[in-house]
Amino acid sequence: MIFSQIFDMLDVGIVILDRDLNVFKWNRWMTTHSKIHPEEVIGKPLFDFFPDLNTSWFLRNCKSVFAFGNFAFFSQKLHKYCFPFKAYNTLGSDFEYMQQSCTVGPLRDKNNKVNYIYMTVQDVTDIAAYEKKLITTNTKDGLTGIFNRRYFETKLTEEFDRHVRYDRPLSLIMIDIDHFKKINDSHGHQAGDFILKKLATLIDERIRTIDIVSRYGGEEFCCLLPETTIDSAMALAEFLRIGVETEIFQFKDKRLRITMSQGVSEINSDVDSAEALLKLADDALYESKRMGRNRIERMPEKQET
Amino acid sequence: MSQEANADFSEEEKDILQEIMNIAFGNATADLAEVIDIYVMLSVPNIKAIAIGALPEYLRKTINEDVESSIVEQKFWGNFKGSGLLVFPSGSGKDILAFLDNKEVKDYNGDASATLEKSGLLEIGNILIGACVGKVSELLNTFVTYSPPQVIQNEKNEFNHLIEHFDPQQSAIVMKTIFTFKEKNINGFLLILTNHESIGWLRKALNDFMDSYE
Repeated sequence: MIFSQIFDMLDVGIVILDRDLNVFKWNRWMTTHSKIHPEEVIGKPLFDFFPDLNTSWFLRNCKSVFAFGNFAFFSQKLHKYCFPFKAYNTLGSDFEYMQQSCTVGPLRDKNNKVNYIYMTVQDVTDIAAYEKKLITTNTKDGLTGIFNRRYFETKLTEEFDRHVRYDRPLSLIMIDIDHFKKINDSHGHQAGDFILKKLATLIDERIRTIDIVSRYGGEEFCCLLPETTIDSAMALAEFLRIGVETEIFQFKDKRLRITMSQGVSEINSDVDSAEALLKLADDALYESKRMGRNRIERMPEKQET
Repeated sequence: MSQEANADFSEEEKDILQEIMNIAFGNATADLAEVIDIYVMLSVPNIKAIAIGALPEYLRKTINEDVESSIVEQKFWGNFKGSGLLVFPSGSGKDILAFLDNKEVKDYNGDASATLEKSGLLEIGNILIGACVGKVSELLNTFVTYSPPQVIQNEKNEFNHLIEHFDPQQSAIVMKTIFTFKEKNINGFLLILTNHESIGWLRKALNDFMDSYE
């Protein structure tokens, strides 16, 4: 009597399925979220109501629970959800469906034979939303909204490793705003921040989705360009240079203009680490500053041996 | 209590456990073929009693034989209590995915391939550990509850966390078996670590098992 109350009182979805995956029990939580009443669903195949669950992984895991009496776990991380229920109380996040953590386990008869399995469904939308926020704060630069240096460095190492394995081209552009200190000094830090934001957007709009632009330091930006040779990277740098040079940054009543210097490097057999690739772009950037700014320098040609 | 349970398994008890595992793994093989559609060969298990304190070192040695590996760990509890560790050579994730056909798994954080590989390892780990532990439990007339499996990286020496809840004064029974996925060129090994609390129960269960044949 008390046990059967638990079934409907818990803030967790519980479904009991027979060997053919027909619904045997359906608790109140499931009714509330699916709008499907027990009398409609009991005795019917689960897949009649949730055809998207009819997948190799779901079937395999259910078979395993019947065969071994083990558990199967469908985590939110990997599956997002098993049942497409509407998400609510999502802390302002944009999940369309309730994020779920589901577990399947065995139910035995007197002879220890598994004749039924149960499935629990837990709403983890709040946790997933919180995690999403944490990931954003961890990977994005607060001011400009583009990736931060930490994320960039992780990606740089990943792309470097990919190059080592598959020998694909990889280039890098280091960007520094010319005389940025003057803008801050003569127009105030708000103007400086405004320029940083606008510039970040300007660059972000001009690169491919697989490229990564990050704020590397104060007024320094870095573009990671997978599958890109140095010649293409130089062309992109020039495209960016012109874009910035001709842009008018309208801050309140001020029409500000900036230029930037860039250094470009590409991976080759002489470049033995991600740091070395970064250093080459940084050296080239220094060179373009030295040569008069608002220009692009490429790393030295590979020494033929 | 610890003195008594610390006593190593007798040769006879080891033999019984070995026999039980042989039967269990035989049953598991047949059912695995049905569940994942692959014939998994499981070697004759090797059984050892190891002091908990020496366990991380044992794991490091055993696992590092293959330079880099992917490890799936899953805890289980009941009368029979411990952890299952499934060790694959690194890179097996892709091969596993190929036969699991898990295209449906949804992308996460844009790092789809790594997520998929992990999902494959977790799924196969969960099933293999569940099959072996489940079949042993069945013969010992008990059943266990499982925690979600997780992938651990061996380069970070995460073994210590496995034994955090074990008393270093105690010992564990380690069962090691080598598995091969026929025609898939995937192999690795499975360790079942039984924690100290279970040893008294295990001994009794082994005797009951023998009695049922007399």
